[in-house]
Amino acid sequence: MADNKEKLNQAAEKAEEVKAVENTVSETKEAVEKTEKAVSDKVETAEETVETSAPAPKKMKSMKAARAAYSALVYVVVTFFSILAIIPFAYMITNATWDTYTITTSLKIWPNFSNLIGQTVKNYHSLVDRATFSFAVGFRNSFVISVSSTALSVYFSALTAYGIKVYDFKGRKPLFAMIVGVMMVPSAVNITGFYRLMHSMNLLGTLWPLILPAIAAPATVFFIKQYLDSSLSLEIIEAARIDGANEFFTFNRICLPLMMPAISTQAIFSFLGSWNNFFAPSILLVTSETKTLPLMVAALYGDRYTDMGAVNLGLSISVVPIIIVYCFLQRYIISGVSAGGVKE
Amino acid sequence: MARGTAKSTARRRRGVSYSKWGYIFVTPFIIAYLIFSFYPLLTTFIYSASNMKRTTSKFWGFDNKDVFYDRYLNLNDLYSDDFDNRTGVDSKSYKRLREYFDKYQNNADSLDPLNEDGVKAIVEYASFNDGEEKYSVETANAVKNAYDNKDFSLLMGEPYDELVTWFSGYKNETMMNMKALANIRTRLDAIVDSSASDEESATESEEAMTEASFLESEAYTEFVASLDSTEFNPAQLALLDYLSGYLSSNLEGDYTVQSYFAAVSDGKISITDPSFYYTCYTLDKTKIDFAEEGAEEKINSNIPVSFLSDLESFLIENSWKDTINSLNSYSDLDAYSKGEKDLHESEEQLYADLKTLQAAGIINIVPLVRSGDEIVESDDYLSNKLLAYRRYIDTKYETSDVAIAAASQISAIKNFGELTSEGGSPERFADLGINIYAMISYDGTVDIEKYRQVKSTLGLADSLSFASYERLDKERKQANIEKAQQQLEENNAQLADVKAAYEAAKATGDKKTTQEAYEALRRVENGITEAKENISNPTGILSKVDSSRFYIFSGMENYRQIFNSKSRLDTVVGSFVNTAILWVIGFIPQIGLALLLSAWFTDKKIKLKGLNFMKAMMYLPNVITSVTIAVFFRKIFMYSSGGTSSASQLFLRNVLGIAKGYNFFESAWATRFIICFINFWMWYGNTMITLIAGITSISESLYESAQIDGANSYQTYTKITLPLLRPILLYTLVTSMIGGLQMFDIPQYINQNPPRINFNGTMIRSTRTVLMYINSMAFGTSSHKYVGIACATSVLLFITTTILSIIVFYIMRDKDAAAAKKLAKKGAKKNG
Repeated sequence: MADNKEKLNQAAEKAEEVKAVENTVSETKEAVEKTEKAVSDKVETAEETVETSAPAPKKMKSMKAARAAYSALVYVVVTFFSILAIIPFAYMITNATWDTYTITTSLKIWPNFSNLIGQTVKNYHSLVDRATFSFAVGFRNSFVISVSSTALSVYFSALTAYGIKVYDFKGRKPLFAMIVGVMMVPSAVNITGFYRLMHSMNLLGTLWPLILPAIAAPATVFFIKQYLDSSLSLEIIEAARIDGANEFFTFNRICLPLMMPAISTQAIFSFLGSWNNFFAPSILLVTSETKTLPLMVAALYGDRYTDMGAVNLGLSISVVPIIIVYCFLQRYIISGVSAGGVKE
Repeated sequence: MARGTAKSTARRRRGVSYSKWGYIFVTPFIIAYLIFSFYPLLTTFIYSASNMKRTTSKFWGFDNKDVFYDRYLNLNDLYSDDFDNRTGVDSKSYKRLREYFDKYQNNADSLDPLNEDGVKAIVEYASFNDGEEKYSVETANAVKNAYDNKDFSLLMGEPYDELVTWFSGYKNETMMNMKALANIRTRLDAIVDSSASDEESATESEEAMTEASFLESEAYTEFVASLDSTEFNPAQLALLDYLSGYLSSNLEGDYTVQSYFAAVSDGKISITDPSFYYTCYTLDKTKIDFAEEGAEEKINSNIPVSFLSDLESFLIENSWKDTINSLNSYSDLDAYSKGEKDLHESEEQLYADLKTLQAAGIINIVPLVRSGDEIVESDDYLSNKLLAYRRYIDTKYETSDVAIAAASQISAIKNFGELTSEGGSPERFADLGINIYAMISYDGTVDIEKYRQVKSTLGLADSLSFASYERLDKERKQANIEKAQQQLEENNAQLADVKAAYEAAKATGDKKTTQEAYEALRRVENGITEAKENISNPTGILSKVDSSRFYIFSGMENYRQIFNSKSRLDTVVGSFVNTAILWVIGFIPQIGLALLLSAWFTDKKIKLKGLNFMKAMMYLPNVITSVTIAVFFRKIFMYSSGGTSSASQLFLRNVLGIAKGYNFFESAWATRFIICFINFWMWYGNTMITLIAGITSISESLYESAQIDGANSYQTYTKITLPLLRPILLYTLVTSMIGGLQMFDIPQYINQNPPRINFNGTMIRSTRTVLMYINSMAFGTSSHKYVGIACATSVLLFITTTILSIIVFYIMRDKDAAAAKKLAKKGAKKNG
């Protein structure tokens, strides 16, 4: 009986709360009404069950309706933000197929179906004619830097994390504490010293300044270490040792495959970070043969590029590959972001 | 038990025999970290305490500092790799060019068509049989005959025609040669002229021009008359239109170029008015873009202004200082000289202006030449320049000597034939002027190795060496110190008198005389300060790249420079404040929306469909290159008063009905809000996913028990979710803050010339972040780099980050935090 009373109170409270929400959503009523109709059947069946169990039919009815309205509101907002997230890219890519006149006199968010290929090719020629750079070179440089730095970063991070996890050497705890500590140091503060160092090593004008530092990636080490803590069993290593494997063999052939989930996640982020990096390359890549894609895209800023179709095409060239890759990998990327937050 | 023993044995074994592997495994990381992160950080700290404010050729790697100095002297053109591309002369022609140099430099009179060498060349060439089209042996003999008899008329008829025919095939290239030559000559002349118009030599000039004599001069009156009578081509008409617009908007009243010059002739407008010089200069040397954005048309066609050099020399002689000041109307030099303005943020503009002035001949650069093995400051620059060019050409290009000699000889004969009374005059070639600066210009990049190589081939490596520059610099400094001392003495001598005069004027109480006396006193006092400053910090010829003072530990000098100069401190603090503003305004809606969305996404009562898909869409902006996004938004919000419109302007005009549109980038806050919006838009998805992960990692049983206790969803959210989410929120806050402090790409590429706002009395760029400031100080395009200041700012950034992190941790800390963190970790393990 007491339970019932409590439940009633609870229901009443909820109804009140929902009413309050209802007030706030009155603006979106129009959108809500449609959804209401769609869910009205369900609500009716639910009402019956409520009526039998609780003697407050009016309140419960409005509560159900409010809930439907509430979820409709949620849908509207979430859909709005989802569309907001992609509409600029849609605009960018569709406008890459229009001519400047159309772009500058009317808002178009659909592609130029009547002359899709022709206009795009025209825009491309306009882009190439004006460009002081070659996108192919930019792609190559970006690719070389991203792939090599990612490979170095994940391999050596895995090696380090494995070393800290598996071997009981003196100072491993302070070392790990230090790695966690330096994770937060903004990498840009040492740029002046780094530039000077790269000059004295005679590496300016090459791609190395952006590749070599990837060997030491504290954040990657941290995340892989966290993964190892939860999933690597030392028995496997013992077993390998008993079978006579040396330590590097154990790491490379046995443990590295086991770490693949963590490594692949980190590899994706490392690759994206490197691909999108702008500040350091803008300073360290001093010759035009070594410029990366973002540096070339930055050149589109200038008023030299007044052909909007060509500009949109240039921007799209840098965006589309990422979107394609993202479509395939978004599951891993999002779970990686989740892991990043929680494991801290 | 047995298992336990095995384990402990294993551990001991690991402890004993495997721990070294631990060191081996972590060594690469440690070494790489020390080299690539720690050492640079350490050196950044050290540099921040070193005096490098004037440095930098060495600091930035130009061990051969003369590259820097040569650049200062515009000598680099000689050595640059794409010299031929930029001069537009093909490699074959170079050799021919060289021949002309020979003639002009050493034997200018040998252009006589009856020159022995030339005849020899023609005869020799006729005897060659190298497949090229050539003239007959008879013709060659006729030339020889003509030479022997010293009678040119003997050539008339067939031999001459044959020669001319052959030559016409040669002509195009030769014309190119002549043009290039003429350009180089023009340039050399300009250099010699500009050195002649140095301060000292200017005073030597006997016949000083006055404004009246200038207006009466033939060149000027002719020009003004020609403006009315000449037929201009469309491009020139466009130029005139442009200038009319400029004059009308900058002066009172409507002007066309013609009426403007008439007004000048009538004495209504002084020729020292900046608009006059600008107008003449633009007419003559024009290569301007229309100011309007989006317009592609350029004006390339100039209208020669015959008296421009007179005007320039007049301005230099009489009021060049005023002219500089007036030209400064678009720069800040003037305010800088009065100490009202910090130029560190507009150095690029300053140097661009200085370059303009130099190109206009209003200021000039001290020319250096070699004399024997030494380099001296001199106005006899021509020969060295010629030598350098010729050697460059020599080393790079080769072709048939004889063919060139013959061609040049024939061209001389041809000229002789056409201008028999005057002979082939070198001046004939010189008026084919093309702006040499447009063809040969320093583009900012130098390959050091090649540079040195070419320099040593030219035999200039020793003479144009750092030591010579340094010595010269020292001498100039010494001279300046002496000058300053003299000035100091003079002013000191005057001081007592002026002071007395001022006191006397004050006593009389007459305002006007007091004012005048006061100004006189101020002048003397300023003179003394200036002289003292010049003595303590004398200007050398190369003071801009004074390299004598780097790596000198200077303690807190850089910090003192930041904190003692109000304008600089405001600039630095302003950049921090900008960064904070941009971050906070973006972060608040970001975390708010992320909290809301994450609550909805995890709400079991709503059960959103297509959740993963929506998450993926919302996260998408975060993986796209931020520069791309910045440039895209730049183009979206761009404003043009003309016909072209960006998407936002179309929206304003067509949807909202604001006919004028709105120039977002002219308003500081609009620009800032765009940046904040982009940051918000790029990052809320990321924050949301992190928060969702945090919420789902909270143990389900907590919610269940809350429900049993009768908590509603709001209570559940505030009492369970938020407290347990605290570590995640902290993580989000700290990472976002550190990311925010490093904001660079978006503000840099949304508006490179943002409106300035008043920050504490100093005008600062409204969207310049800390990193942009560091970047422009240490890596900006100007040759004057403030590495020390940049490093000190980096250190301040480092300290700020650390302090903020500590504060954030401290604020977010509570007694439950530890427990919550444990819980969150547990949850993560469960999910992970």
